[in-house]
Amino acid sequence: MRGHIRSAHATRAYRGGVSPASALVVLAALLAVAGIAGVAWRRLDGRRRRGAGAVDLSDLGAAPGRTTLVQFTAETCARCPQVRRMLQGIADALPGVDLVEVDLTHRPDIARRHHVLSTPTTFVIGPTGEQSARFNGVPRRADVEAALSELSALQEAS
Amino acid sequence: MTPDESAARPGAPQGIDPRGPRFAAWITSALLLVATFLGLTGLSTSSGPASFGWFAYQPLADSTWGAWALPTAPLAVRVLDPGFLAALIVAALFLWGVLSPTTSPWSVLFRRVVRPRLTPPTELEVPRPPRFAQGVGLFVVGAGLVLHLAGVPIALPIATAAAFVAAFLNAAFGFCLGCQMYLLLQRAGVVGRGPRIA
Repeated sequence: MRGHIRSAHATRAYRGGVSPASALVVLAALLAVAGIAGVAWRRLDGRRRRGAGAVDLSDLGAAPGRTTLVQFTAETCARCPQVRRMLQGIADALPGVDLVEVDLTHRPDIARRHHVLSTPTTFVIGPTGEQSARFNGVPRRADVEAALSELSALQEAS
Repeated sequence: MTPDESAARPGAPQGIDPRGPRFAAWITSALLLVATFLGLTGLSTSSGPASFGWFAYQPLADSTWGAWALPTAPLAVRVLDPGFLAALIVAALFLWGVLSPTTSPWSVLFRRVVRPRLTPPTELEVPRPPRFAQGVGLFVVGAGLVLHLAGVPIALPIATAAAFVAAFLNAAFGFCLGCQMYLLLQRAGVVGRGPRIA
């Protein structure tokens, strides 16, 4: 038993894994990675993306011949209510625009069909069923309004 | 009813002050940073023949685990590792946040001490997303704890580091990574296949 106790002292230097200084370097790197990820996310979130062209809206409840904002939500989506209020404000102000809310909480099939990987996601659908813009995240109100005004300009031109 | 009253009442449908979960996320990220530090400097990353205080443990000479100390450490030593205990506390707080968000320590601290000093919230949030995110945090840290108990080296600091990134994104940027994962978990078949599940 004495020999074991001595070996405990001899190997004491091994205890403790990574040195405190190295551990602090790892923590600093971790903070930097998290900070960069947060800044990158903030820049990309809610950006307008090009629409995917004609989409089948039969499962979304969008009326044909109307301009429709389709917002995908989920019960676990923290930022969806604020987006809905914003889109509702836009739809209320423009008579030709509907707002349709699609809850994906129990509908993975719809999420898969429309390639929705996160909520909130918003589609801007023209009267011809053409998806003219898509927003992943919280869109800026001006960007949604710009997408809608492009649609109505197109309609007037044709 | 004022937002203050509705947020103070458990289960009120009006919602919660969104600054509450972010306040909690700051404390959670600090705790996870400490847990990661203790995990990194503790048994989880230790190498060489392990020695544990006053009694020495002789590892098997032909150990396939190479230089790691954790696989040969007795269970009691794995449990008493400071990194494990710190992560256990964080996991317990996550569990509390899942089971009873309104009585969890940080939400009580926020209501009693922090919010009286702030202006009333401009908008309220539904309580379910942060609760779901606490569950994701519990799963990640819990996986680290189980792997640590099973003798897998570095699993614990990796788990607490991942949970730290999520908590920090929530605190500093208001980005709820756990909430964002819902549709991905759903696609993987973990949650939300049919009604009333998840």
